[in-house]
Amino acid sequence: MDVRQRAVGWSLWLAALLAAVITLAAGIGPVSIQPSVVIKSLLNSMAIPVGVELSSSAVGGTLQLPAPAVRWHSPFAYSINATHETIVMRVRLPRILLAALVGFSLAAAGTVMQGFFRNPMADPSIIGVSSGAAAGAVAFLVVPVAIPFGLGLQGAAFAGALLAAFAVYAIATESGRTPVATLLLAGIAIQAFLGSVISYLQLRSGEGLRQVVHWLMGHLGNATWDDVAVTAVIVPLLFGVLVAYSRDLNVLLLGEEAAAGLGVEVERTKRILLATSAVITAAAVAVSGVIGFVGLIVPHMVRLVVGPDHRVLLPAAALAGASFLVLTDTVARAGATEIPVGIVTAALGAPFFLYLLRSREVHEL
Amino acid sequence: MSADTLVVQELSVALGGTEIISDISVSVESGELLGIVGPNGAGKTTLLRAIQCTLPATQGSVTVEGQPVERLSARERGRLIASVPQETRLSFSFTVEQAVAMGRNPHIGRFGTADETDHQAVQRALEQTQLTEFADRPVTELSGGERQRVLLARAFAQDAPLLLLDEPTANLDINHAINTLDLVRTVVDEGTAAVAAIHDLDLAARYCDRLLLIADGELLAVGSPESVLTSHRLKAAFDVETVVSEDAATNSPHVTALSSSDSDRC
Repeated sequence: MDVRQRAVGWSLWLAALLAAVITLAAGIGPVSIQPSVVIKSLLNSMAIPVGVELSSSAVGGTLQLPAPAVRWHSPFAYSINATHETIVMRVRLPRILLAALVGFSLAAAGTVMQGFFRNPMADPSIIGVSSGAAAGAVAFLVVPVAIPFGLGLQGAAFAGALLAAFAVYAIATESGRTPVATLLLAGIAIQAFLGSVISYLQLRSGEGLRQVVHWLMGHLGNATWDDVAVTAVIVPLLFGVLVAYSRDLNVLLLGEEAAAGLGVEVERTKRILLATSAVITAAAVAVSGVIGFVGLIVPHMVRLVVGPDHRVLLPAAALAGASFLVLTDTVARAGATEIPVGIVTAALGAPFFLYLLRSREVHEL
Repeated sequence: MSADTLVVQELSVALGGTEIISDISVSVESGELLGIVGPNGAGKTTLLRAIQCTLPATQGSVTVEGQPVERLSARERGRLIASVPQETRLSFSFTVEQAVAMGRNPHIGRFGTADETDHQAVQRALEQTQLTEFADRPVTELSGGERQRVLLARAFAQDAPLLLLDEPTANLDINHAINTLDLVRTVVDEGTAAVAAIHDLDLAARYCDRLLLIADGELLAVGSPESVLTSHRLKAAFDVETVVSEDAATNSPHVTALSSSDSDRC
């Protein structure tokens, strides 16, 4: 079958699965809500722009400027329990959508990193992004004065992530070339170094320790619609870049010299893939903390099913990652006391992965 | 502009300050197979990599179809030069057809997908290399000889006027070696220009139109196999006494190397 058909087929299938998972997850919690009610709440809050009105308003005294105002129309008005609607729209949905976006990003970046490093152990944190984000966040929590420019917790994590990734890249690059093996080792060294920084800060954190540990284990509990909005703009754009380079990523698997002979600008492609993966991971980690395992396990699971062609694998893994994290986060918050989602991803993901590993013949990657 | 497909002029390459090949000039025309022969470490692979611009030349120039290779983009270069590498890394369970289709990469734009021309080129390459029945098999399940054919098919699918081969027969048994060079000969007879580094002097003499003999990075001789493979030149290149005779079956030169005790008796 044609590659494009396979890519679209798998993507549609997994997108439908994601929609179903989201609808079910929104009904699960201390208050149980029927899927039909969830769907009605979603439809109720839909609004479509139906026209633009110009109203004159006074700006700066004498100058009269027409200001456009968009008129919205809500086509649906089901009568449902208002409390249920609030729970779905205000409490659960932002968290669920954020989980989907974070899972999507981590799985996409993990897929790219495994192909890029030709190494099955690679995950999105391999170039120091997660450690950098953690160091930034922990520094913010423990010594807030140390963070300039009034960055919030997420800003500090995002900045730390990019700083660490750039440091790894700069250390591994010599006269315009970045050997993958050097990059891998530089990443490990930077991770170890940042690990010691984080441990030291934890030791000094005193009262804030609980908050620090919570962040380091990954959490989606404080999700707001603002987080969702920002991530929902950044992630699809960067994902588009990765998809555009998915055929080059296939060719890179043959080795860099072979790829160069097959029309790939190797160093430029590597820079673009690295930078894009770093930013997409940083965006995810900044809003969620360090959630391990999604970026490592989901790409493997999906590769076992759809094969190694990144044109199919990348969108499929990203969508599967979204469903996976929504599911695991639902488990994490469904119990009497909420547990960090990072614990659940590993606890559920590892056995399932081992099952796939044993039930299918695995050669390499 | 020259009528030759490949023109190498006064090419020198240095690695870490040491000159690996120096001042080599040669040209190859369409429908011609040039064999590079010489001892281990003579610079055969380096010459091929410099032609492909994988290694930067310190001096001299390489043009393919009149275009200076170093100034081309990777994509343009990939449409002019196809190469079969010595080391064959074909892990990842891509199918044979997927692996061969990667040869079309330089012909497809970033946002494009394979069109009818690409499909036909891939199918033709699979047929030429008798891989059609293996098309859906993962490359990881193939034997060494079959994998070599996949790499050849990938290069054929690339549809480039110049084909470079680095030791294409190095790890193959005689049957697969002959088979591989027969395939190369076929595309060359169809009009491709090819340069192959070949270790086996008999095979090189039998399949190549001309040979280029290098030792220590310097060109010792270039010309017909009969004119290049002489005891005198082989002594200079390989530092070994040889007897060159005509092979009864193929009528091409046959080189027998003598051990030092043999040469005492001569």
